[in-house]
Amino acid sequence: MIPFDFDYFNPETVQEAYHLYHSLTEAGREPVYFSGGTEIITLGRIHQLYTDAVIDLKGIPECRTAQLDDEHLYLGAALPLTAVEEARLFPLLMKNVKEIADHTAREKVTLGGNICGNIFYREAVLPFLLSDSSFVIAGKDGLKVQSIHDVFEEHIQLAPGEFLVQTITEKNFLTAPHVNIKRKRQWDTGYPVVTVAAAIVGRRLRIGISGLCPFPFRSYEVEAALNEPALSPEQKAELAISHMPAPILNDSEASAEYRLFVLKNTLTDILVAFEGMGRR
Amino acid sequence: MEIIGKSVIRREALDKVRGRAVYTSDDTSSSVLHAKIVTSTFAHANIIAVDVEKASAVPGVLAVITGEQLPLTGEEIRDRRPLAADKVRYYGEAVALLVADNPHTAAKAAALVHVEYEPLPVVHSPTDAIRKDAPLIHENVDEYEREEGADPITFTNINNYTKIRKGNIEAGWRESEVTVEASVSIPPSDHAAMETRAATAEIMENGEIHITSSSQAPFMIKRLLSTYFDIDVGKIIVNTPFVGGGYGGKASVQQEILAYLAAKAVDGRKVKLEYSREQDLTTAPCHVGLDATIKLGSTKEGCLKAAEIVYLFDSGAYSDKAVHLSRAGAVDCTGPYDIEHIWCDSYSVYTNHPYPAPYRGFAHSEVLFAFERAMNMLAEKLEIDPLEFRLKNAILPGHTTPTQVVLNRSTVGDLPECLRRLKKMIHWDGGKPTRINERTVRVKGISCAWKNSTIPPDSISGAILTFNEDGSINLISGVVEIGTATKTVLAQILAEKLQMDVGNIHVKMTVDTQTTPEHWKTVASRGTLMAGRAVLAAADDAIVQLKNAAACVLRVSKDDLVVANSRVFVREEPERGLDFKEIAYGYQYPNGNAVGGQIIGRGTYIQRNMTHLDKETGAGRPGPEWAVSAQCIEIELDQRDFTYKVVRAVCVLDAGRVLNEKAAWGQVTGAMSMGLAFAGRETFVFDEKGRMMNPQLRTYRPMHYKENPRYLVDFVETPHLEAPYGARGVGEQGLLGVPAALANALSVAAGTALNRLPLTPETIWRAKAKEEASNR
Repeated sequence: MIPFDFDYFNPETVQEAYHLYHSLTEAGREPVYFSGGTEIITLGRIHQLYTDAVIDLKGIPECRTAQLDDEHLYLGAALPLTAVEEARLFPLLMKNVKEIADHTAREKVTLGGNICGNIFYREAVLPFLLSDSSFVIAGKDGLKVQSIHDVFEEHIQLAPGEFLVQTITEKNFLTAPHVNIKRKRQWDTGYPVVTVAAAIVGRRLRIGISGLCPFPFRSYEVEAALNEPALSPEQKAELAISHMPAPILNDSEASAEYRLFVLKNTLTDILVAFEGMGRR
Repeated sequence: MEIIGKSVIRREALDKVRGRAVYTSDDTSSSVLHAKIVTSTFAHANIIAVDVEKASAVPGVLAVITGEQLPLTGEEIRDRRPLAADKVRYYGEAVALLVADNPHTAAKAAALVHVEYEPLPVVHSPTDAIRKDAPLIHENVDEYEREEGADPITFTNINNYTKIRKGNIEAGWRESEVTVEASVSIPPSDHAAMETRAATAEIMENGEIHITSSSQAPFMIKRLLSTYFDIDVGKIIVNTPFVGGGYGGKASVQQEILAYLAAKAVDGRKVKLEYSREQDLTTAPCHVGLDATIKLGSTKEGCLKAAEIVYLFDSGAYSDKAVHLSRAGAVDCTGPYDIEHIWCDSYSVYTNHPYPAPYRGFAHSEVLFAFERAMNMLAEKLEIDPLEFRLKNAILPGHTTPTQVVLNRSTVGDLPECLRRLKKMIHWDGGKPTRINERTVRVKGISCAWKNSTIPPDSISGAILTFNEDGSINLISGVVEIGTATKTVLAQILAEKLQMDVGNIHVKMTVDTQTTPEHWKTVASRGTLMAGRAVLAAADDAIVQLKNAAACVLRVSKDDLVVANSRVFVREEPERGLDFKEIAYGYQYPNGNAVGGQIIGRGTYIQRNMTHLDKETGAGRPGPEWAVSAQCIEIELDQRDFTYKVVRAVCVLDAGRVLNEKAAWGQVTGAMSMGLAFAGRETFVFDEKGRMMNPQLRTYRPMHYKENPRYLVDFVETPHLEAPYGARGVGEQGLLGVPAALANALSVAAGTALNRLPLTPETIWRAKAKEEASNR
């Protein structure tokens, strides 16, 4: 049961959505953008989220794009994760989103919803961080394209009323050697103890991590450690661990120490796998 | 006609898969008022003040109830107010109850109740609770009113103490050449049934109280409400529609009391109380935890001689069923082995955890986890094959149980046969690790299990058969259909007995305590034995009536008549007879004269020759039979990461007689799956203040369908002569040995004793790290 009443709006254009947000805010309302709705339902029912107006972005064509041209891949923020899987355009992202929630939920959870959500794992952002993708943001001057690194720092950094419309990823990255490993508390379901996405770009290893801290991140210090040429995979992993941001999560999924143990092994495995690939 | 053993599809199957089956909270009539509970945010605290002013002022709020004036409740010890007053003793405990005209208002107002607390030191485990300096959770447990049989210890956190003294433990140790000691720990967890708990209550003008509840124990609700609130028992009428999974959790009475109080506060109007998933996990009774120490002794040849055992059951904040759980744990305190000298102290101990309900197996899977771990540790020390070790000591007819019952083939079945079949099925390799690759090993772990059901000696079950004019039969039994298909099996028992088409038996699925004969509780794998016997008795009664009527009409002795195929006929001339439909509503002669009347069969069953336990030695006959089994869990462990996969789960169970093959298979594999989830992942996680950190299915995760391994099940059939067609219980048995078998496999694979649940990779990593630290 959602313990509050709210109005539902279904705009058909980016402008309409943006203006709705502002006119509702000016009228003293507390609007939120809505795509899959899973967080609004699950956090709403336990009083961790409140709204009196939801603006559904799914009716906006730009938010539903899945298109590859000669140079770039464009993915709409309102694509359900299952649609991202089925489009088969971005292999690392496909593997990454397949590990989020379960199939039934992924029919609802959207790409933008996962990246911009309150639930802090936001795993779907990792492939975009690794590929230095751009985000198309709707704002007061219409659409603008910004580097992900300027608009995503632990969470999406948007002005009130702005929203994520699309992601733009360079085509070259799509074929980069990559891996996505999600390690859970036990077996196949649940939140990550850690999720690590990795890719080789220009002979350098890029790494993005979710589940270790209460935010996903890509760290250049960590990557520098992992690309340290003189060290063995174990030593690189060890060095990388010393550069992790704080705080390390300590919760019902895993203790902080265990998370670091799992991360170190996962990083070592990735390094070994890519090393083997380099030799070939 | 062979109906027994056939996989008859359960009667309610289509309604369930098509969403037509009705459950308690499906009552959405607009006249129903809605109740909501306010729960404690502390695990242990004094209540300084409860401010309900703001909540009461919300338009649409009809009543706000707090605890001070309420009577003490509890099944064996009355130690719990339905709403906490003075003190809260667990996180999630109900503190106030609101009634409003719609659920939104109730929820909104509940958020406005302000409770001021003064935190108290928190007791986190039964081991901590028995320390000399432990805070007392109840100041003096001895002062509470209690039933005979509950045995608390004054000025301690112990609310029940059961002793088992068999043989002479000193002699046992003298005869033992090799010994081991195992300490195990199981934190509390939950049943996590699909349907969260709900109840409605209404008090009629004539004083009748109508309760509908998602309960396994409608007759117990009636009895307990009568006792707690001094109401004539006949005035309380309890209905149970379908129940969406019980697993024991719905055998405790909690939300019904609150629903009754809510109705009472609004002049008897009908009120519904529905727990959210969070409340179902935190507020409602949970799955018991256990701390245990087992010392085992044997000869060098592996002949068990002595078992010295201490069980500390985690009673949580209140005693309720924990008293009984700790007693059941004492009754079958060992595994199913012939041990001459047994000494066991079993305690139920207050902590600041939720208090337990029964849980599938009623203390047995927990006790067996401890005991079967010790068995493997001893086998290792003796350098004996753990399966051969179990076979050598397996309990047999002629042996005695811990409570000194002398067994026979009917009461104990055939454990050696279970073990022999298991050995063959799993291609037993001695439990040695097989290397799969550099990091991964595959290991088979085994465990034996047994279970008797220590339900009260005078537990009853009744059945009524009413005939329809077409000769078909309505079967009415007090068993609640909680998803086990028991009611379909009862129809099979009846069809077999009357040698008729099971399709002509109509089963009443709901229970209404005013018109349905009592079945004590739908728990303890006792549905088929007790209700089955009642159905057989009712069938005998109907047969007498049918034969009497037919004898009169056919002018033959009733001794010459036979009943089969919905007919009564002369044994020698089958064509001379009457169809049921000709006599079901009396017989009418051609001239219009009529005799007889509707055929109504009735039957009852009461447990035979059960006894209370002797206070000093525990000697006594606590239940009718032991179902025995042997189980194997095969795993592959990554020795670096300590992640593992369960490859297959195997159970060979002496089922006495399989009554419905697929239903039995479903029960056994379902139980194994639950055992794997309980052992491998499910547990409550509490923080240092005793607050539950995972009160949602996001974070408290039962097994996902795709996580299940391959299941193999085989049934040995050694009849329990007292039971319908020899059947033993099958509802719980598949779970019992699973946690121990999993731990036994993982302990070998990880190379360290794993004696704590849940067996997550992190638990194994910790155990390994601890061992390495101590080796340094």
